[in-house]
Amino acid sequence: MLELQRNVIFGQFVETGSFIHRMDARVKIAATSVLIVASFLIDTFLGFGVLLPLLVVIGVVSRIPLGYVLQGSRIFIAFLGFILAFQVLFYARDLPESSYLWRWGILSVSTEGLYTAGILALRVILLYYVTTMLMLTTSLVDLTNGLELIFGPLQRLRVPVNELVLVFVIAIKFVPIFIEEMERLARAQTARGVPFDEGGALTRARRLGRLLVPIFISGFARADTLTIAMNTRSYRGGRYRTKLRQMRANPSDWLALTLVIAWITVAWLV
Amino acid sequence: MQPDAATPILELRGFAYTYLEGTPRASEAVRNISLKIHRGERVGIVGATQSGKSTVVDSFVHLLRLGQGQVFYKGEDVAAPGYDRGRLRREIGIVFQQPDSQIIDDVVGADVAFGPTAAGLSATETRERVEESLDTLGLPYADYRLRYVHALSGGQRRRVAIAGVLAMHTPVLVLDEPMAGLDPRGRKELLELLIQLQKARELTLIVCSASLNDASLLCDRFIVLDRGTVVMDGPVREVLREADGLAELDITLPEPVVGAREMQKLFPDFPTDVLTEDELESELLTRLGAA
Repeated sequence: MLELQRNVIFGQFVETGSFIHRMDARVKIAATSVLIVASFLIDTFLGFGVLLPLLVVIGVVSRIPLGYVLQGSRIFIAFLGFILAFQVLFYARDLPESSYLWRWGILSVSTEGLYTAGILALRVILLYYVTTMLMLTTSLVDLTNGLELIFGPLQRLRVPVNELVLVFVIAIKFVPIFIEEMERLARAQTARGVPFDEGGALTRARRLGRLLVPIFISGFARADTLTIAMNTRSYRGGRYRTKLRQMRANPSDWLALTLVIAWITVAWLV
Repeated sequence: MQPDAATPILELRGFAYTYLEGTPRASEAVRNISLKIHRGERVGIVGATQSGKSTVVDSFVHLLRLGQGQVFYKGEDVAAPGYDRGRLRREIGIVFQQPDSQIIDDVVGADVAFGPTAAGLSATETRERVEESLDTLGLPYADYRLRYVHALSGGQRRRVAIAGVLAMHTPVLVLDEPMAGLDPRGRKELLELLIQLQKARELTLIVCSASLNDASLLCDRFIVLDRGTVVMDGPVREVLREADGLAELDITLPEPVVGAREMQKLFPDFPTDVLTEDELESELLTRLGAA
């Protein structure tokens, strides 16, 4: 039966107590940002090849099973495949005749098209992988505190840092909640005779459309409740709050960050 | 197809279930549950939160990743390859804890009509069923059929959800926490309605709850769950005699039973299997007379 949570892990947090989980959140956010920048700078297959061992190391050290991550990315991978097919087929440039492998009307497959699509795929996968790993290994509280501390200085420029970070974190947190909600709705509707567990991929996808209206309604209701809950508890950003647990980056955290930056620099320069 | 009367209508054999099995987020909901429910029985499945009630309910109509040999309807394994799940779901009606989740259409009449239409009934027959179900639940057809579900109150939405299931005329009716969020009058009305429906349609009625308050008047048998296993199974009065054990499991006892437990401070042998306040009172009067 429909177990959507298996196929979408975006926004989930899995505690394994690994070194990466224990790292200072600020350092993790910094490392992730550097990797995101790297995904735009690197534009050769060799560069991404150099980066691969680093990603494997992150995966292994975090002790999060690869199978779990892969299964939880199935919908993302299918979507990416769909986009890339378009990228290849509609790659229209003035190309020498020799680079076309296949042509039919405006559709074509060319070596240049395949190359561009390949690089694009690696970029998107890298982006997805590092942000997913950040969320899988960082609790929401740490993520919030880390972001608030990093962007804290902007407060002097009257940027509402706490509020912005809160909105960002809530947006992420709502993804798994929505997925759970969809699962619940799909179960209840299956019991009433909409067979969400039968039919091909297309029929199933079309049935999911039925859930959109109730999901939106429950989403608004949830947001409303959250607002009231925060108001009754006098939420006004983290400005006047002191923290029981101060964040402290250990030498090993700095070492890890340096390693990531060095590795990326090598990957960029090759 | 027509098994003998001794075949239970629903049966679980060593049912165990873990959500998201094989992932780091796996959580065990049911460890080992075996139970048999016979045609026409009125069974209460009771237990505190996390006891596995809702998972058991979901298993009845195969809403989980079930393995074979665990869940049987009329003696047939519902997880067997090629088993007609559509038919199973047309014969077992479930009213879930949150009524909103099972409402499919925005308009009351259309939503109640969903099941009968999907089952292939004619328009006239469907209309009759919708009218009958809405009227039964105290939502007059003429007044409610064109109303928007989301504009109704929580109690009314629950009634719409129940009407949607009743319109299917299922021989088995399962209600998960049916009284949650209802005011005392709503509870009393629903209780009377369920008792009357069960008799009129010879329903097999299954009620899940963490509270025995209304269930003790509605059911004639209790199956008590604790952390995914069956800890008690028997006639209502027999189970109520174990009031201390029930209270330890965080199950809300019926008010007369709470009173009876208080009385035990005065009369250590005061019985706890009292269903109504009248029974409690007459029991007390006997004791006082004797003293």
